[in-house]
Amino acid sequence: MLAAIPAAGCAISQPEVPVSSYLAGHYAAVQEFAEREVVEGAVENLALVMNVKGQCELALGDVDAARIAFQGAAQIMGTWATTGSEATAAIVGSESSKTYKGDSYEKAMNAFYLSYCYLQKGEPDNARAALKRGILMDAEVADEKYQADNALLFWMAGRMSKLYGGSGADGYFEEARVANTFAIAHESRGVANNPLLANPTKGNLVLLFPIGLGPEKYADGAQEQLARFRSQGHPAAAAQVSINGKLLGRSTILSDVDYQARTLGGTAMEGIRQGKAVFKTSTNIAGKVLLVNGLNKRSGNRNTDNAQVIAGGALLLLSALTATAADVRYWPTLPSTVQVFAADVPPGEHELLVEFVDGRGNGLPRLQHNLQVSVSASGETWLLVPSLPPFALQQ
Amino acid sequence: MLTRSVTVGLLGLLLTACGSTRDTRVNPDAADSVTGTGLQSMDIRTMATRMAADIKEYGILAPSRDGARASFFIYEMVNDSSDTIDKTLVLTKLRTDLFKAFRGQVKILDRSANANDLVDAERRMKERGQVSGENNRKLAGSDFVLKGSMKSRDRLAGKLKSSYILVTFELTDLVTSELVWTNDYEMKTESEKSVINR
Repeated sequence: MLAAIPAAGCAISQPEVPVSSYLAGHYAAVQEFAEREVVEGAVENLALVMNVKGQCELALGDVDAARIAFQGAAQIMGTWATTGSEATAAIVGSESSKTYKGDSYEKAMNAFYLSYCYLQKGEPDNARAALKRGILMDAEVADEKYQADNALLFWMAGRMSKLYGGSGADGYFEEARVANTFAIAHESRGVANNPLLANPTKGNLVLLFPIGLGPEKYADGAQEQLARFRSQGHPAAAAQVSINGKLLGRSTILSDVDYQARTLGGTAMEGIRQGKAVFKTSTNIAGKVLLVNGLNKRSGNRNTDNAQVIAGGALLLLSALTATAADVRYWPTLPSTVQVFAADVPPGEHELLVEFVDGRGNGLPRLQHNLQVSVSASGETWLLVPSLPPFALQQ
Repeated sequence: MLTRSVTVGLLGLLLTACGSTRDTRVNPDAADSVTGTGLQSMDIRTMATRMAADIKEYGILAPSRDGARASFFIYEMVNDSSDTIDKTLVLTKLRTDLFKAFRGQVKILDRSANANDLVDAERRMKERGQVSGENNRKLAGSDFVLKGSMKSRDRLAGKLKSSYILVTFELTDLVTSELVWTNDYEMKTESEKSVINR
């Protein structure tokens, strides 16, 4: 019982990331928050806040700093090893006392951002390495049926392979098509015959659009022992691309983050939490019964009554100390979908207009991006434009 | 008395659980206590030392009978693995160990973009008489090029994962395109996922 006390004492809560500020375009303020959390916050949340920091740095145009942040988070999220004391604390005490390593969909998104940063550094091979790691992590979901169903990672791995002359590009493209078909058949958003996957090498200008706001993780059940996801509202549903005043088309979904979160499957910890919930309820009931019997002197024997009071009190204390709540820490600034648009554009400077539209196709002026892009005669130009206000991007 | 003892005991337990950190210098050849797959400092050091010793022992870069030194430059390292790496860290360490192994018996050329820019700028300033010295020597040509690659095979089954990494270096003759030397470094890690992360 005493062993449970320190464990419960170190329960770690979700950092209060100012998501509304992030969505409003106050990236410097959110970055400042994340930097402060990195230094002063719970070390167990380091990967989570580093991911948020990386996103802000990307929005502020500091790709090198973003890469370092995502790399740091990837190191934590990709490490399987856990100390015995951490495992004991998470099992006996609060699950959220453990180091946040993210769910497989969060690991996949970390890989996505990290690969983009490496690509911008001019290292498509390292970008592919990050994606390969992301694909492996995506395969960690408990439900085997949903393993390796992230078309975005496969497609990007194929493109990176082509960019640096690595092997296996066609295999990645085929995996991307299979993943997309599977995901669509299992209620993921997107289109079954995605034109981008039909012609995966198309375009020397590739635009990546993290759109919307990703799912929220919350605790459900009488003892909050169940970790669940719910989608969050956001007006943006797709991106519309124009170059030099000419409308080229609309983005297509390659990764439905909400779907990826929903299809994680049950975890071993879920079973442990369920067991703890039963234990908590049982000890609570038994403790109350013993305590009432003892206090009411129902046995007629003073020694027995005293023993019942002590045992009842101990059981109630044990019940109160049993932490059943699920660890619901999550990466709160993820997008709801990642969409892609690729076009063949003549080399030179171009005026790029990205308009985010809602589900009915109405434009969202606040999220409109006017960008100047330079397309080289050889190679490819990749750009990441989230459905966020462009304020920081233009600074 | 009992209450005070219990309170002190609980506080002690809380401090034990929540405190204790360290910041210690460690031997870079020691196994990394920060676990995870991928190359560690000991791998990078061992690899560089072994490659430098082997390439010297092989003799391909030894000076000719008339004392002419062979020249080479390190071109790049391609990462085909599933681990992102700082390629310059690996190659810089290798270059340093090669330099130490040969002790001036071989010409190691710096063909980095940065070095090329510096050389161009210096030569221009000398041509204009802005600085002392003359451009009385040609830029050094290279006899060989040293390249590296890193590949991995990753396997995942349930709570177990293994990662095999193969780092290969090769020296190519820039006149004949003959592969004149190659060697590799291998490492493998196995990981078991804790129940709290499953």
